[in-house]
Amino acid sequence: MLKIENLHARVAGKEILKGLSLEVKAGEVHAIMGPNGAGKSTLGNVLAGREGYEVTQGSVVYEGKNLLELEPEERAAVGVFLAFQYPVEIPGVNNTYFLRAALNAQRKHRGEAELDSMQFLKRVREKLAVLHLKDELLHRAVNEGFSGGEKKRNEIFQMALLEPKLAILDETDSGLDIDALKMVADGVNAMRSPERAFLVVTHYQRLLDYIVPDFVHVLADGVMVESGDASLAQKLEEHGYAWIAERKLAGAA
Amino acid sequence: MAAALLEDFGRGDARAREESWRYSKMALRSLAQQEFVAANADAELPETLRAQFDWQATRGRRVVVVNGAVSERYSDFADVGSMVTVAETGGTYAVRIDGKIDEPVQVVYVNLPSAQPSRWQTNTSMVIVNGFATLVEQHVGLDGAGVLGASRRRIDVGEGARLDLISLCDLPESVSLYRLLDVHLAAEATLRATHVLLGGRLQRLDMQVELAGEQARLESRGVFALRGRAHVDTQLDIRHVARDTACDIVWRGIADQRARGIFHGAITVAEGADGSDAKLSNKNLLLSPQAEIDTQPVLEIYADEVKAAHGATVGQIDERALFYLRSRGIPLADARRMMVTAFCREVLDGITDQDLRNRLGGLLMPHVDGGSS
Repeated sequence: MLKIENLHARVAGKEILKGLSLEVKAGEVHAIMGPNGAGKSTLGNVLAGREGYEVTQGSVVYEGKNLLELEPEERAAVGVFLAFQYPVEIPGVNNTYFLRAALNAQRKHRGEAELDSMQFLKRVREKLAVLHLKDELLHRAVNEGFSGGEKKRNEIFQMALLEPKLAILDETDSGLDIDALKMVADGVNAMRSPERAFLVVTHYQRLLDYIVPDFVHVLADGVMVESGDASLAQKLEEHGYAWIAERKLAGAA
Repeated sequence: MAAALLEDFGRGDARAREESWRYSKMALRSLAQQEFVAANADAELPETLRAQFDWQATRGRRVVVVNGAVSERYSDFADVGSMVTVAETGGTYAVRIDGKIDEPVQVVYVNLPSAQPSRWQTNTSMVIVNGFATLVEQHVGLDGAGVLGASRRRIDVGEGARLDLISLCDLPESVSLYRLLDVHLAAEATLRATHVLLGGRLQRLDMQVELAGEQARLESRGVFALRGRAHVDTQLDIRHVARDTACDIVWRGIADQRARGIFHGAITVAEGADGSDAKLSNKNLLLSPQAEIDTQPVLEIYADEVKAAHGATVGQIDERALFYLRSRGIPLADARRMMVTAFCREVLDGITDQDLRNRLGGLLMPHVDGGSS
């Protein structure tokens, strides 16, 4: 589904990704861990098409297409979704209106029929229940006045509604208490399917107790330094990221 | 010639006039260089123009002013009733409202071009003795040789009376319009005004409101949305003269392409006007590098016990928010439209009549789509 090869990317003139490679197949959940400043969020932003993230080398192929050539809205329409680390508040734009516009724009792009408001609301109610979000949030402006936890749950709610094929969760666990963390994990687990893949970017192992990944990768200084199964996350938790750095140094020597 | 126009359009002394036209000097000068003939007030209105103001909801309560003169032919006062009387003396219209009018009354000012550039002016004085009235005012025009209009109005809102004024001015780039709105509010009188200003070669709105009686209240909402080479200059001059008076001013401005917008909001709280509450918020959005908006809030306080807050900003569309919308699948142009519409929303939210609000929102829409940068 997704093949990243030798990806180099710059932000504000500074090279952050320095030859990252990763392959993700449909149905898989990949966790990407790493210390602060390793390039985790940069990877998510490059995949979603954020301006200011300049790819200088390498390729990203998604379902046989060059993902880097697509506009952000086209990436969304072909099934790429980024759950933001810092969801943006947009005063004056009603949440329901925004979600329906987003869903219908994607459907239109794919040549599918747009949903009318009855069909849309039915779908919304189903998904809200899973994330224990209040109906009332729908009547507010996008993320405006939402608590930190509500913002993150709202990201997962949007993911549930838009049903992407490749979902990238950028530190969705940061700032969540244990109850909210479980709700987010439930939301993700309910969506796991053979057609869908997840990239779970996280700083801590805690989220991976609830979303058990098929693969764990360690990103440090812009490259993948270690890959393994879910047990790698456990080892990291015990030994810290310094352990990886030491192993890397030992390998180089 | 520019001086002569200033004389016609100004308020205050010559120096104050000139200062207040600072940002529109060039636009005024270019107008002054043109020859204008008297506009024809008997001209026939084409169907396309009539369709712009023929609202079902205001049939029977409509006054149509063609190039400065009330048109018997297009006006329709069938349902206005005896609470409203209109008299004309020497080109000045005197309107008197006494009583509560439930349904809105519509006043349409039509700018209809002739073969040559033409000019009109009109003076109105309106008194709301008591009760409550809603006035929906519309300025429309046809593109052509150019029209220069001037409307000067004095409105007296009597003790405890209230006027809701909704004013929509949507002009082609060949039409220029000067408007003076001079309002006097008696004790416990209220003016709620919403202005929407779109287009025009030069649009100037001078709105001066005197809160002359205790507990008089002004609520002013307004937005200009400009593109092309439109030039809009808005000057608010609010004077708190009596105790416990309040003003609440929220204006938004949007300029795209090569448009130019000016907002000047002056609030004066006179000596002795203690207990006054003055609020002014003005935010502006530039959608292109060639557009320009100048904003100037001015607060002068001569009383002791006053609550006052004011703020003004000029900025650009929030790129983070734009990316957020796009990342969910909303195309760039739609995302921009959504953000710009949201930016104006606060101004229209105060209009309680939902049909009217939707109508204004709809008229605003083509002026806020996408942007060009």
